[in-house]
Amino acid sequence: MARETTCTVSRREFLLGAGAGGAVALSGCVENVRSDPDSGGGQVIVKGSSTVYLISDLMAQEFMAPDDVNINVTVDSTGTGGGFKNFFCKDDSDVNGASRPITDEERTSCGESNVEPVEFQVGRDALTVAVNNEAEWVDCLTYEELSRIWRDERVERWSDVREEWPDEPIKLFGPAPTSGTYDWFNNNVIGEDYDHTSEHEQTEKDNIIIQGIENDPYAMGYFGYAYYSENRDRVKAVPVDDGSGKGCVEPTLENAQAGSYPMTRPLFIYVNRQSLARDPVFEFISFYLEEAATGLVSEVGYVPVDEATRDDNLAKLMLERP
Amino acid sequence: MPTGEAEWHGAESEVSQTRGRVFEALCLSATSIALVSVLVLLLYVANDAFKPLSADPGWHLVILVTLVLPAVGLALYYYRIDEPAGEVAYTVTGLPIVGFLLAGGLGVVFAELLAIDEYFALVIGVAAVVALLFAHTRLRPTAPLERVVLAPLLSIVVVFGTPPAAIAQFIGPDDWQLVVDPAVTVPGLGWHLDLGGFALTVPGLPYRIVSLPELVLKSPVLPLPSLQLLAALTLPIAGLAGWFVGRRHESRQDGLLATGLILVGGAATLALEPATGVAATTWLVVYTTTVVPLAVYVEGVYRRGQLAGLAFPVVLVAGGLAGAVLTRALGLAGPDVWLDWGYLTSAPNSDPALAGIYPALVGSIMLLIVVVMMTFPIGVGAAIYLEEYAPSSGLVGKFVTLIEINISNLAGVPSVVYGLLGLAVFIRWAQIPNGSIIVGGLTVGLLILPIVIIAAQEAIEAVPDSLRQASYGMGSTRWQTVRNIVLPEAMPGILTGTILALGRAIGETAPLLLVGIAASVRLAPNSFFDLGSAMPRQIFTWAFEPQAEFRYGVLAAGVVTLLVVLLVMNATAIVLRNKFERTNT
Repeated sequence: MARETTCTVSRREFLLGAGAGGAVALSGCVENVRSDPDSGGGQVIVKGSSTVYLISDLMAQEFMAPDDVNINVTVDSTGTGGGFKNFFCKDDSDVNGASRPITDEERTSCGESNVEPVEFQVGRDALTVAVNNEAEWVDCLTYEELSRIWRDERVERWSDVREEWPDEPIKLFGPAPTSGTYDWFNNNVIGEDYDHTSEHEQTEKDNIIIQGIENDPYAMGYFGYAYYSENRDRVKAVPVDDGSGKGCVEPTLENAQAGSYPMTRPLFIYVNRQSLARDPVFEFISFYLEEAATGLVSEVGYVPVDEATRDDNLAKLMLERP
Repeated sequence: MPTGEAEWHGAESEVSQTRGRVFEALCLSATSIALVSVLVLLLYVANDAFKPLSADPGWHLVILVTLVLPAVGLALYYYRIDEPAGEVAYTVTGLPIVGFLLAGGLGVVFAELLAIDEYFALVIGVAAVVALLFAHTRLRPTAPLERVVLAPLLSIVVVFGTPPAAIAQFIGPDDWQLVVDPAVTVPGLGWHLDLGGFALTVPGLPYRIVSLPELVLKSPVLPLPSLQLLAALTLPIAGLAGWFVGRRHESRQDGLLATGLILVGGAATLALEPATGVAATTWLVVYTTTVVPLAVYVEGVYRRGQLAGLAFPVVLVAGGLAGAVLTRALGLAGPDVWLDWGYLTSAPNSDPALAGIYPALVGSIMLLIVVVMMTFPIGVGAAIYLEEYAPSSGLVGKFVTLIEINISNLAGVPSVVYGLLGLAVFIRWAQIPNGSIIVGGLTVGLLILPIVIIAAQEAIEAVPDSLRQASYGMGSTRWQTVRNIVLPEAMPGILTGTILALGRAIGETAPLLLVGIAASVRLAPNSFFDLGSAMPRQIFTWAFEPQAEFRYGVLAAGVVTLLVVLLVMNATAIVLRNKFERTNT
């Protein structure tokens, strides 16, 4: 039989090549480095709020900057609620960024899979309401007006908010219900007695909100201050009056720090208590909490925590470590 | 009109050609709309990535005079007057480019996946298996079936150890610490497995048989990494090149001489480290992938006497160097490109100027390895069964037709759906960590599996039935026919189809989002179970960064990188197809 034809040879070579490739790939599994807990390296999975994403990402970058750090901190933005529901409470992530405190349901759901969330405040955000640059008629909005615009039974036109404003429909852009920003806005601005409207363009990507506002002169939207500070010339931020007698206050980091801007909200990270037992997670969180009081946070566009909060955080970290 | 004299109907009036002309024009405009829109998109992206307008006009002028005009002139000369030399010119220019890409790929492998000493040990292990099998062929030439059984057994024992280290690690590293080292033999302990509460003890297997590569790695007298590479990488390539040259010259001596020369050249690169400060291993990899193939090819050209083609790369390099020297001397600034060496080798950064794509590039390559390992055997196997073995008549035949229709439909299912499937099957059910390379690869592999099956089926179907009949007529069995006739004939088509499907796999984003591949990953994965990123996922992240530099410059550079990888893959598909077609017909 003609065994030694050219086809047989090339086939054998091909098989050999494929076998060698397979061997290389398999030995890739053998020499596990970071996913192997004994290796000295490690992995930290951070999910959650798109607002806190910007801080966590910068923290990860600074934490991993020294060459000898073999810890892979991966950061993802899934929205506060999305992160809790799909990853953190299923024990699929170590840290969840949150732009609002965890809810009781989330705590229960986490408890069912033995995930014990530990809360740390890592900064403050000045939630910003923005309109199109051409909307020169708006120079202040009260909580009452914002609530009427964004609640479920909302007013449809600018002239319905104030009579002197144009008789045009208000186009709304805002975060999705999985977002902590959405929940915070609903509870604190719209009011807990009302539901957030579902007639707005929903997105987890704050740039899309800015883009939407930019392209429609009668649009309005809200998002974290960091996105406004990077896009000041594209949209116009509206000063807000919460009705407590302080009048209209502009969204700036100074006003947020001084506490005069009403829509200032705390930003949190939640850490799985079991994960803290792992050195890479503990080291990263120590670094994070230490740096949360420094310029790193304001570099992104948020307000750092004060030193008392930082010290509280670090003490809590030591206490909570299993 | 039956008349006696034949008369042309409509001799005085013409048939209207208007409809035909209009149809042709419509087709032409459809083609041009498609081409122009793609071209505009590519130009737009390339403009963002390279920012050619940021350069001095003088810089463009100098480059035009020193590099572009001579190259275009020479190309025109080849095209008009000396076409064979043109072929030499583009091969001799393309070879180093492919070689450098290959060197980059190897560099990534050695840096992230498989350290040089691990590779060296593995090569020794594989070589031992091949040598043992070869010896078996010599000793017992009439027992091919025995070899079929022996080959996988030997590979496992020699290359992976018994039980294989990967499996041992899955079972539980704690229990293995006792027995992983042959030095620590615990007599009478037995082979103990703890499968999460379910314990299994095999008496009489006192310790794990360590594989040859592990033994090599533990050896106290490992040579320098550069010497390891010389032995494990340059030596096989030199042997291959020597065999090739020997066949071309029809002289075994010339072949041996070529092998020797290549090895001497490789050893000479070791002297470059002290001279240049660049590691000897880097020089050796570049030498092996770039200089060696080029030298072998140029030797052939020299033999045939087609030296005119060799002028082209010389003109390119000399023009580039002259341009660089002149622009520097005249102080003309080049374009401020996003896509540069730093971009390819650094991690994503919150500062656009420092941002790079390296971890995502490595992640994409590893993802593709997983995809290939999964889809190629399963896809081609399924296609062979469906085309060659599955019954085509009766009730079962109808069932097979139903399955084939389903596969075609699966090829059109949106990728998000596959993402959900991957989430449900691999993460929730099989408990593979979310965001890891293997989960991404398996999910994207599922996505392109139907495409691979269909492409392979079509390639197998295209093999003429007369070939099969002839093979049966010679007395071959069905297995012999499939192995010797159908598969070699269909292989170019199968490979092309698979590589084009891989092109789709490398660009998929939606399934990766669903299986939790993270937005920002700063370390390249160095195992398939590590968390990793992929190029399209990284591009998606950049598209939503607050700063505009990300959304335009950095993102565009990422798109260009992805396109280049894609083009290289498609070019490989074409070369493979041509190569196989040439050798098999």
